[in-house]
Amino acid sequence: MSYSEEDIAALVQPTKVHRNVYTDPEVFDLEMDRIWKNSWIYIGHDSQVAEPGDYMTLNYGKYPVVMVRDNDSKVHVLHNRCGHKGAKVVDRPCGKNPAFRCCYHGWRYRLDGKLLGVPHLPGYEDTGFDKNDPQYSMQKLARYDSVRGFVFASMNPDAPDLRTWMGGAADVMDNLCDRAPEGEVEAAGGVLRYEHDCNWKMFIENLNDTMHPMIVHRSVVESAMDYIKTLPEDSPRRDEAEIIPPFGASYENFEESGITGFAHGHHYDGGKTSIHADYTLDPEYEAAMLKAYGKERMLDILSFNTHNTLYYPSLTIKSAVQNIRVVRPIAYNKTIIETWSFRLKGAPDSMLRRTLLYSRLINSNGSMVGPDDLTAYIRMQEGLKSQANDWVEMHRNFGRDEDLGDRVVGKGTSDLDMRTQYGAWREYMTGSVA
Amino acid sequence: MTTVVTSQESLREIEALLYLEASHLDKPNLDRWIELFTEDGTYWMPAIPEQEDPHNHISLFYDDRIIMEVRRRNFVHPAAASKDYTVRASHIISNIQVQALDDVSGNCTVTSNFHCYVFYHDKQTPYAGTYTHELVRVDDTYKIKSKRVDLINCDATLGTIIIYI
Repeated sequence: MSYSEEDIAALVQPTKVHRNVYTDPEVFDLEMDRIWKNSWIYIGHDSQVAEPGDYMTLNYGKYPVVMVRDNDSKVHVLHNRCGHKGAKVVDRPCGKNPAFRCCYHGWRYRLDGKLLGVPHLPGYEDTGFDKNDPQYSMQKLARYDSVRGFVFASMNPDAPDLRTWMGGAADVMDNLCDRAPEGEVEAAGGVLRYEHDCNWKMFIENLNDTMHPMIVHRSVVESAMDYIKTLPEDSPRRDEAEIIPPFGASYENFEESGITGFAHGHHYDGGKTSIHADYTLDPEYEAAMLKAYGKERMLDILSFNTHNTLYYPSLTIKSAVQNIRVVRPIAYNKTIIETWSFRLKGAPDSMLRRTLLYSRLINSNGSMVGPDDLTAYIRMQEGLKSQANDWVEMHRNFGRDEDLGDRVVGKGTSDLDMRTQYGAWREYMTGSVA
Repeated sequence: MTTVVTSQESLREIEALLYLEASHLDKPNLDRWIELFTEDGTYWMPAIPEQEDPHNHISLFYDDRIIMEVRRRNFVHPAAASKDYTVRASHIISNIQVQALDDVSGNCTVTSNFHCYVFYHDKQTPYAGTYTHELVRVDDTYKIKSKRVDLINCDATLGTIIIYI
């Protein structure tokens, strides 16, 4: 079917969404056009292009782009398309070059995308071709900017300024970086790319769905606890034994953690507490933090304990763990989830090792947590083909969330996160976004 | 790399262990599989080619006996939704080469190539790559001290890897 503006608006109701938002390829195409092109999309961290000439390639929604650092150390996000016949100019995941050169006819570009040279130029004389016309360059995306090194881009020239767009959710990104004694983080330890046979929204809707862990992750929690019981009492402490069991926390615990939602679909779970709150504080790390910040500020930073924070629609971060997951939609029923880990500058190496342990134990393709979540998404993708009920409900705690003006807060088990996302979805999709 | 010349008898014993290990994963029978490892044994699947260590870079798997024990229990746990589906595998191992051998203890490092198909959730997925086994003599038999699995596409986008390969 073809959707009118009214049809699109009607897909989202205050307490339910129509199944077509997950199952219809046409809705997916509209989302890529209206949400992904108008929102700010996470590109990468500027530490991944640390030196002039460093680049990394990726897809922004459906579109090939490249992040690159130029000779003035400025980071750019360019369309990865030759101004000539349209070939992707760079095709490695990352690399370094003094300038870009297309593999086909050798057109060359400066690191900021400007066309430098075209072989055998006289053939273009008096043809109307203008080498300085930007359409023949590797064009810059309409907007790009960064917060604490996290680079975002937007294809909407009128998008709000990046920090304004993040609103109060920026506090979590600041907290992630403040957890470094030097106040900066850098990407470290590589990436995992995990293909999910499901709609992209199923992944982000699960992040702060606190009604699922005790069901979906019961098996790994019980398997771990069952084995821990067989170990002698004086067995050495293991990070795994702090990371896995909280996935089985009670409804009451998750309820207490609270959820906070913001404009544009962002939200986080936790604040005062989270499933990461009881990790043992590494003494060497504590000493480095104390030295850098003093006791009061250190406690301030470390007591802000969030679980997942979503920058709708493409980035989710864990400040207390220092890893992020990036959403790269491929089709209505296919999404790639990337997991990246970060080093806290000035922290002992043990902190990065714990982050990588977490990423492997919880988010890897071979983990005992992520595959169980994915199974639920795949079953939704299948089950929603049913015409038994066109709607997916999101009533939990409806009418009981509290609007504080710049944010909405609710119990940790509230569907506030769903309603926050679909509020933004509706705004982007109908063009009524602020 | 020059491979070490071993007696036919030793080579047969090493081959037999690799085949036995693969047959436990084919079923899969993790209870029997774990018994082939030493108490400090590890299973490692790096996420990039020639990955130097499992701690300072992400891996797809890095299990010691403790995580193997958790995984063994989880694999048959009735509440694990991802394990609701039949898992069957078929391994072919070839090009077995002894890369290092301690003449006194018999401890050795063995590389081999593998092709493995895994049937899971209505889908059959091929995996291919190289195994590196560190084998040690314990009570007149070989045990696995470490198994490293280098997939040829370890740094590609991959789906769920539901079972040790």
